[in-house]
Amino acid sequence: MPQAIPLPSDLSPATVANTASLLRIIALSLISGAAIASRLFAVINFESIIHEFDPWFNYRATRVLASKGFYEFWNWFDPTAWYPLGRVVGGTVYPGLMATSGVIYYGLRALNLPVDIRNICVLLAPGFSALTAWATYMFTKEMKDESAGLLAAAFIGIVPGYISRSVAGSYDNEAIAIFLLMFTFFCWIKALKLGSALFGTVAAVFYFYMVAAWGGYVFITNMIPLHALVLILMGRFTSRLYVAYSSWYVIGTLASMQVPFVGFQPVSTSEHMAALGVFGLLQIVAFTQLVRSHVSSKQFQDILFVALVSAGVLGVAAFVGLTYKGTIAPWTGRFYSLWDTGYAKKYIPIIASVSEHQPTAWPSFFMDLQFLIFLFPAGVIMCFHQLRDEHVFVIIYAVMASYFAGVMVRLMLTLTPVVCVAAAVAFSSLLDTYLDAHEPEPEASATDSAASVDTGKKPKKEKAATGSALADLVAAATPTKKGDAPKFKGVYGTDTRFMIVMNAIAMLSFFVFHCTWATANAYSSPSVVLASQNQDGSQHIIDDFREAYYWLRQNTPETAVVMSWWDYGYQIAGMADRPTLVDNNTWNNTHIATVGKAMSSSEEVAYPILRKHDVDYVLVIFGGLLGYSGDDINKFLWMVRIAQGVWPEEIQEPNYFTPQGEYRVDSMASNAMKNSLMYKMSYYRFSELFGGGQAVDRVRNQQLPKEGPTLDVLDEAYTTENWIVRIYQVRKEDLLGRDLKSANAFAKGKKRKRSKPASRRRALSAAAST
Amino acid sequence: MLHAKSSLHSPLPAAATIKLDTASFELLTSPTRDWSASIQLTALDPRRRCNPCKEFSPSWNAVAKAWSKTSKQHRDTHFFATLDFDDGQAVFQQLGLASAPVVYAYPAAEGSRSTGKTAPSTYDFSHGFEAGPLAQHLSRHTPIPIPYTAPFDWARWTTTAAGVLANRWTWAVVSILTSLVMTSGYMFTRIRNSPFMGGDGSWIAGGFQNQYGQEVQVISLVYGTLGFAFIMLTLVIPYQSSSQRQRFQVYLWTAVIAMVYSILVVLFKAKNRGYPFRLLL
Amino acid sequence: MLSLHTFLLFFLSLSGLLHAKSSSGDSVLVVLEPARQADFSIFFDGLKEQGYELTFRGPKDEKPIVAEHDVPAFSHIIILASESKNFAKDITPQSLVELMSGGTNLLMALSEKQTPLSSLASEFSLILPPPGTPLVSFFPERKDPLSMIPIDAPVDSLILSPKMNPVWFSGVPHALGSNPLLVPILHAPSDSFAADTDSNADALVDAAEKGGEGLWAGSQLSVATGFQALGGARATWLGGVDMLSDKFAKKSKAGNKQFARDVAAWTFQESRVLRIDSTTHHLVNGTTPLEQYTINDQIVYTAQISHYNAKTSKWEPYSGITDMQLEFTMLDPHVRTALLPVAGSPGTYSVTFRAPDRHGVFKFVINHKRKGWTHLFSSTTVPVVPPRHDGYPRFLSAAWPYYAGAISTSVGFFVFSAAWLAGESRESKKAKKTQ
Repeated sequence: MPQAIPLPSDLSPATVANTASLLRIIALSLISGAAIASRLFAVINFESIIHEFDPWFNYRATRVLASKGFYEFWNWFDPTAWYPLGRVVGGTVYPGLMATSGVIYYGLRALNLPVDIRNICVLLAPGFSALTAWATYMFTKEMKDESAGLLAAAFIGIVPGYISRSVAGSYDNEAIAIFLLMFTFFCWIKALKLGSALFGTVAAVFYFYMVAAWGGYVFITNMIPLHALVLILMGRFTSRLYVAYSSWYVIGTLASMQVPFVGFQPVSTSEHMAALGVFGLLQIVAFTQLVRSHVSSKQFQDILFVALVSAGVLGVAAFVGLTYKGTIAPWTGRFYSLWDTGYAKKYIPIIASVSEHQPTAWPSFFMDLQFLIFLFPAGVIMCFHQLRDEHVFVIIYAVMASYFAGVMVRLMLTLTPVVCVAAAVAFSSLLDTYLDAHEPEPEASATDSAASVDTGKKPKKEKAATGSALADLVAAATPTKKGDAPKFKGVYGTDTRFMIVMNAIAMLSFFVFHCTWATANAYSSPSVVLASQNQDGSQHIIDDFREAYYWLRQNTPETAVVMSWWDYGYQIAGMADRPTLVDNNTWNNTHIATVGKAMSSSEEVAYPILRKHDVDYVLVIFGGLLGYSGDDINKFLWMVRIAQGVWPEEIQEPNYFTPQGEYRVDSMASNAMKNSLMYKMSYYRFSELFGGGQAVDRVRNQQLPKEGPTLDVLDEAYTTENWIVRIYQVRKEDLLGRDLKSANAFAKGKKRKRSKPASRRRALSAAAST
Repeated sequence: MLHAKSSLHSPLPAAATIKLDTASFELLTSPTRDWSASIQLTALDPRRRCNPCKEFSPSWNAVAKAWSKTSKQHRDTHFFATLDFDDGQAVFQQLGLASAPVVYAYPAAEGSRSTGKTAPSTYDFSHGFEAGPLAQHLSRHTPIPIPYTAPFDWARWTTTAAGVLANRWTWAVVSILTSLVMTSGYMFTRIRNSPFMGGDGSWIAGGFQNQYGQEVQVISLVYGTLGFAFIMLTLVIPYQSSSQRQRFQVYLWTAVIAMVYSILVVLFKAKNRGYPFRLLL
Repeated sequence: MLSLHTFLLFFLSLSGLLHAKSSSGDSVLVVLEPARQADFSIFFDGLKEQGYELTFRGPKDEKPIVAEHDVPAFSHIIILASESKNFAKDITPQSLVELMSGGTNLLMALSEKQTPLSSLASEFSLILPPPGTPLVSFFPERKDPLSMIPIDAPVDSLILSPKMNPVWFSGVPHALGSNPLLVPILHAPSDSFAADTDSNADALVDAAEKGGEGLWAGSQLSVATGFQALGGARATWLGGVDMLSDKFAKKSKAGNKQFARDVAAWTFQESRVLRIDSTTHHLVNGTTPLEQYTINDQIVYTAQISHYNAKTSKWEPYSGITDMQLEFTMLDPHVRTALLPVAGSPGTYSVTFRAPDRHGVFKFVINHKRKGWTHLFSSTTVPVVPPRHDGYPRFLSAAWPYYAGAISTSVGFFVFSAAWLAGESRESKKAKKTQ
């Protein structure tokens, strides 16, 4: 056989195998190193600090776990969250993340390595990203081979789509969940391939870990049954599938019910019914197979068929009936909004208001996945080409995940692994083809081998196809059956090989540059600390959030209740250690709507709400001075919408727009807008800052009236350096029982109008007339 | 299968086809008729073992039924009738028929529709027993064409559909199209009701988190082209048996990848102004 | 600790002996034109006898200042310079309210003229008639001017001593707003009305023509009104300074001296002063307060309430409240129950109740506001949590079907495995035998 490039021929197969495995180990270690290192931008640029919002809660919970032990954590009732409702943390949290950190913390302490729990939390995500790379390697190895596995590991190690949720300090459930997702899938594929109950059980154990770690476990709960169902429909039912699925489902479901937050959901909610249904279907199919192998009578099988169909119909009817009766909970809003995309905006504005729940525009895909995004379809085609059981899995995963990622930005995270796997399969196929040193025989013998193919249909096709590229595709696409002599394929010449390999290297290098740039610029900001550039190019740190939170911590009593929009609840609890009304665990719509109502109502309406909830301080985020666009005025419409959902009589969104339908804060702003507590708190004394000049809001680029709003029920308590955070203290009831507006007017020395005693005669006549 | 399905159309309404015996046959074909008639001479009794008769009968009934749905003024000038061998052996003998089925079309002998011809014409079964050609043929003798449409052929469609559904490449095309469209931001345009293009005629929306409907098409085309190039390079070109043509194709597709990828980066730069990289363009 | 305790007791008793009487301090600032000091000697001497330290100051004097660094310098202020239109800078309506928020009690008298004090009165929900219209009455027939009116003290007064002689009054009446913090002390007689003294008959005629409209008349008007501010301080408004004067006190059968005494006692927090000494809560069969309770716990809540005894200048346990309520509140009261005195243990009020079946951050709230009495308010925050993971019953009799199912499946599996293993070994043995 001719060779394009001379290869050493004096190597024994054992040497080659050993060298290859050594190289694989080295490559995997380097990939792990790169994965960890690229996630440390945030620590190097800023400091070892917890990022964003949710991680602050996880961090706080982990501290409780580390200091008080697991049982106390499990029974932890947090009276400072959702004041005054409180939060049963142990029963409303996925404890996997905290437990993982706790185990590492105690493990290191047992080794006499006292590491601060904060550093464990900060560095957990990078550490697990190395494990994710390994799990992806194992998974892809099952799809194709080790080289594809290494490529997939390298891709997932540095791809921005995954880095975005796993940089150092991003201490969130997703940090460990993606590893668990990939490893569960790997175990499932392995179990399916081997028909192994052991791997099925391992898959179940990791599924349990996943359930304990992330609400996204429902993705696994539906992916695996869907895979099993498709295999059954394709007529690929085997005892291997039966063993793998049954062992996974039974053990996994029982285990998942041990997580307090999940409880009986696996047998009582619609999200989990697919898994249960497929489990039942598998039992029926297996039973049919058994009967078929023992009974030959055709009529008996007919009866059986009818029985099975009616059993299926009955099962579906029972499901519908139970759902209707309420025994099985229908789809929760979050899941339902994935299918009916208009649903959330109409009925659950709280879900629609979360920025992670917005749909994804194409630049996000390219930003997060770069060239993998167009290798991805090629990889899926490769899977169709071979179409073994495990390839069916990748195909289903690819279609489902690309839909979900399109609907919600945060689900990009579930798409990323399958894109890496499919792209690695495609890319390594390309490299396999063009790095293979063997050249095909010259033309004559190639046609000979084609002619020697002996099955019924194929020679005809292939003869017609000689020289036609498209027909080659068909030939290549038709799977070679056993006994067919495969047509030898290969590439001629070294220049073509060189061309492709250089192209591939160029693409990979570009990918590396892109990932580094994206990680460093877009995904490594802690969002608690903002960075801006000075005019000389040096970095300027804007630390208003922590300034405000530490002010609260130092200057207010420990029981002082702070009201803010729910985005900042976890941060206030974590950094200021003060009770909050609402936080990022948005489970109680009414309570959030109450805060929304207080923020969007006038002072007279808001004050009783504030007093009823024992609010001592109100915190707002205002970006108008600095041009920080993520401030509360920009989120204000969501507050209005959410409040409107509960009190449609009192709060109406159109009132906050000008008659022309514009959202304005300047002198043209609507009255409801100007009187709202949020507006007043944001712009209180803002115009004084400009010393008589025109006050300009730099976020909305609007000019504010010279006469700023006045506040009667609140006192300005603190405003940070760049005015990003403003804290107000709620006034107590007036000493003399007056309403605060007149009390305020009196304190400012304004004369009160003379009042007359209510005339009894007039009151009587008025009463008589009515 | 076809006949089984068609037989669903019978039993026919009384008006559709007239059951004849010798006497009524004579009446129907009387030389002074001002009507026309189509008559099927057949032998449906199982004892006669006339398989063609059984095969043809449903087609006949279908055409007769189609005629029975025309308006009354036309319907009463042309009749469909059936004479079974067991009911009118005399007619068979008289006409000298030895085989069945036979279809005669008797034109009107008198009245406005008379063409002068009185002798019946015979339907030529070389077209087969299908209802379509029969209807076409008989339409020449009716005042208006017979409004016959072939019933929907469920069986063939089912088989074809099953074949299509069972074909993996159908699914491959569906899956690939789905994921291409989804990763091009189709759901974004659906949920946000983005316009197809900008009001000022621009087709690419400014801003990283925004896009128009047209971008979905362009981007999925770009992704599709690039993916297709990789498929060609990996799956197709190695089967090329001519080394020259293969080399040409390798260079061609490599160039395609380089160019289209460069265009993609340019498009991305238009969305994300801060993007520092560029390729050929 | 013991020594400190005894020392404190000693100190308290000492202060009680040396001074009197008020629960909130003895220093009194009297703002009065120096020339008129002698007119009120009976009143002031009475106060001095009680043990108050009086400091006098003219309305325009700068010294002594009423508050230094926002800390009130006096416990009580009496403003009898009601006719002054100008006060020193530190005595303004605003500063007086500020002083009240610091706990200073005020005793003020109004006049017919428009003064800073009359604008302050409206902040206390007092509604004054137009300037220059004192209260007049033709009854009872007397030699005195029409505007000097003897007023019978109410029978069931919260503040005044019972069976008091009529109180002579001269000054302006005021109507009361709807403020619940007002404590009426003395109402105008029902046959009195406010009118210009020179033309009172005209006023009546005018009013009669209008059907009584616009006439300030009747017993709805008040001439002396107390005010219990939310912070605990008290204020009393008198319709005229003469009520406290020697002239009126010396009239025969006049109750003015006693009236002045009673009003000062109430205003300076000698009488009707209550406080909550301590509150505590614990489980029914526990003794120490828990940091958090579990839902459906039986909780005992106890409050210790004292009453100030001006005679001994001591706080004494007080069991006389019968209408006090305890609320267990989260947003809304989930439990509202009577908090009744415990027989046999003076000053102790206790109640036992079941915590609601609802977790959350609850508050024990006592909010007892009665006219004339100090307000009692106490709020103790305590979380109510769901049972611990091991706080549920371990075995449920209702779950027997599930236990039976689990046990039977386990047994069945065991039997099946055993039988299957045994069967296979026998089969292989058979196979061996046949071989």
